[in-house]
Amino acid sequence: MTLRLPHLPGLLPFLLPAVLTGGGVALPLLYLVLRALEAEPQALKEILLRPKNLELLGNTLALLLGVLLLTTCLAFPLAFLTTRTDLKGKRLLATLLALPLALPGYVGAYVLLAATGPGGVLPLPRLEGYGGALLVLSFLTYPYLFLPLRAAFLGLDPSLEEAARTLGLGPLRAFLRATLPQLLPALLGGYLVVGLHVLGDFGTVSLLRYETFSYAIYLQYSAAFDRVYAAWLALFLLLLTGGLLLLEALLLRRLSLARTGKGSGRRARLVRLGRLAPWAYLLALLPVLLALVLPLYALFHLASRFPRENLQGLLEALLHSALAAGPASALAVGMALPIAYLAVRYPSFPARLLERLAYLGYAVPPLAFGLAWVFFSLKGLPFLYGSLPLLLVVLAFHFLAESLGPIRGALHQVPKRLEEAARTLGETPTGAFLRVTLPLLWRGAAAGGALAFIGAVKELPLTLLLAPMGYSTLATRVFSYTQEAMFAEAAPFALLIALLSAAFVGVLLWSERRF
Amino acid sequence: MRRRKVLILIGTAALGLGLAQQPTLTLYSGRGQSLVEPLARQFERDTGIRVQVRYGTDAQILAALQEEGSRSPADVFWANTAGALGQASARGLLRPLGESLLKLPQAFVPASRSWVPVTLRLRVLAYNPQKFKPEELPQSLLDLPRFARERGLVGRVGWTPTYSSFQDMVAGIIALHGEAKAREWLQEMKALAPKAYASNPAMLDAIRAGEVDLGSTNHYYVVRFRRAGYALGLHHFKEGDVGNLALVTGAGLLRTGKNLAAATRFLTYLLSPKAQQYFVGNIGEYPLVKGVVTDPNLLPLEEALAKSPRLDFEKLPLDQALRLLRELGIL
Repeated sequence: MTLRLPHLPGLLPFLLPAVLTGGGVALPLLYLVLRALEAEPQALKEILLRPKNLELLGNTLALLLGVLLLTTCLAFPLAFLTTRTDLKGKRLLATLLALPLALPGYVGAYVLLAATGPGGVLPLPRLEGYGGALLVLSFLTYPYLFLPLRAAFLGLDPSLEEAARTLGLGPLRAFLRATLPQLLPALLGGYLVVGLHVLGDFGTVSLLRYETFSYAIYLQYSAAFDRVYAAWLALFLLLLTGGLLLLEALLLRRLSLARTGKGSGRRARLVRLGRLAPWAYLLALLPVLLALVLPLYALFHLASRFPRENLQGLLEALLHSALAAGPASALAVGMALPIAYLAVRYPSFPARLLERLAYLGYAVPPLAFGLAWVFFSLKGLPFLYGSLPLLLVVLAFHFLAESLGPIRGALHQVPKRLEEAARTLGETPTGAFLRVTLPLLWRGAAAGGALAFIGAVKELPLTLLLAPMGYSTLATRVFSYTQEAMFAEAAPFALLIALLSAAFVGVLLWSERRF
Repeated sequence: MRRRKVLILIGTAALGLGLAQQPTLTLYSGRGQSLVEPLARQFERDTGIRVQVRYGTDAQILAALQEEGSRSPADVFWANTAGALGQASARGLLRPLGESLLKLPQAFVPASRSWVPVTLRLRVLAYNPQKFKPEELPQSLLDLPRFARERGLVGRVGWTPTYSSFQDMVAGIIALHGEAKAREWLQEMKALAPKAYASNPAMLDAIRAGEVDLGSTNHYYVVRFRRAGYALGLHHFKEGDVGNLALVTGAGLLRTGKNLAAATRFLTYLLSPKAQQYFVGNIGEYPLVKGVVTDPNLLPLEEALAKSPRLDFEKLPLDQALRLLRELGIL
């Protein structure tokens, strides 16, 4: 079915929330542009021609490229090793390798600062600036590349490579010309997510003192209170993000990888590692050690020096985090449902547009998005500014896209015929959805909600900009303590973030299990 | 049975009403949470007045107050800098204060009489004592770049350009020596490739860790580190030098505030010997009222005051300093 005019009245219950969601993402961005354009010509010239902008651009791009390169060096061989070789314990390794997802970048940066240098847990010189940011971001974001690459390796059809070999290509050239293009969508998709994280990151770079666009935005907003320049920096950052999205779309265009022949694909033969196996373990254990074991060890070590009287603050922050992330993730699922439904059942231009808008909310760097909402709410919805509902709604807008994927996936598996049967029995589209489809969707919804929850608990800049007065979450506490170099005080808050996130990674794995 | 239920219901309702009746004070704090929180809780215990705090930087709070306008829920603005209070006063956000409050502090009562100074801190130079002897350190902040150049400290000087006290100090250079001199100083500093830290403790931690060798900071941060057992040098420049600038923190009552009595009580509380002792003991700041035991490791208050240049603190050209920092690409 495509969306046609006669459908509209029946679909109104879906269209309305979907359109509101689209507006919630698009409107504040529009307002950001208007705000930036408010600048007087002279000030505008000063802002646009600042040499600092070029420096920030250079820094941001250098970090982006460095992280993409290093995550490739980690994720590519690891995905290969855990799918296409005879390595023992592949599954356990793959799970461990995905777990650094539970640690946010600012916690990684904090561990690096607390653990190195004189008096640190490790006998290493203080690592910060570009090197520190590169290491932290790479080791904590490589799972976003590792997971899709693994899926791609598992789904790969070996016959193409074999055909290339029979045509006289060597193993390496056959891999490059036949196999690699098949991995391209996964690679680009992973790059996009890693790239969005790097562009949007604020906690890591500000703790490690590396000036990128997002760091500069926060600085202009909070330390030097210049909102016009902050708005312009946010627009520059949006342009960069837009460039990244466009690049990915262009590279993926006209790529046709589906099997055209009859019959099903075969599983590839496993590569025997033989004497290389110990090296493979070493490579696989390196990220586990650096991105999981070391941070947890350092955090526990530091937490043992935690002053007891701060326990109440810990409970309060935990409660605040749960009270923000819980409703926000439920809201994100509620927003994702109608959009996913329209996109799957009524594929059409408006439905695609709404879906793109939802992804835009995710692709906009959180600081820019938060800033846009600060401006927009102060002007248009002043009663909402500084209130918990606003924080919830904005978190939901941002993490909506993370819920969309699992819900769409689940929806694709619900047979359309069940719904059609309900329709012929006189149900409206809404009624059919609520009574037939929704009960079959809950696993997808739980997975989507878990993803949004993990995101919201780890989230820093949106919370910093939009939380109500005195509302400190685990994330904001970690950040404010670490900024003051109070490492022991920050440790339990960071540990709770890691534990909460890991628990929801558990929900995620559970919801993916099929009976 | 039913009667008991009714009684419980009435009791709960009374309790709820009582809680609702309890006055609540809304405080906008430019000072850090780790410092304000214990004091606010103590105030709650001592007076039964509930305190709600919104934390931010001075600049953020000033902006929030202006954006919120008459809708602002804030009763008290407790700022990290006199500059921010001066701006709030100049924009008509603050209420004039009564004589009973203004007579409490020993010095630094502003001409506008719309806020009270609460504590005092000095700018000082923190350094690695293994690297320098106290007598070889420069006599003026303005000589710091030349000293660092001669000693080959390129990349080994720390600074905190986003921190309000640093920005106040730059404003102090402009006020005392003119904008041209301030520009020259900042450019010379920039040529040393200084490392910029988001906060003073982070910079001092870097000096401790041997990442940089020295940096200008507020005196109590050095005190705090020394109390934690780290060896850090504390250097005062010559008398009257801008590098020793005395900076007060202070608080004022907002015109929009709805809880005047509770707010006045809070300001009085800040100037009570009990609270002032907390500032001295827990933070290492200088008290501004009599009857407080000061830290023997610190200069006596009179000597400290003599070190600082004389300035009208409410008129520090902060806007000019920020513009300059931005123009030079430091911010």
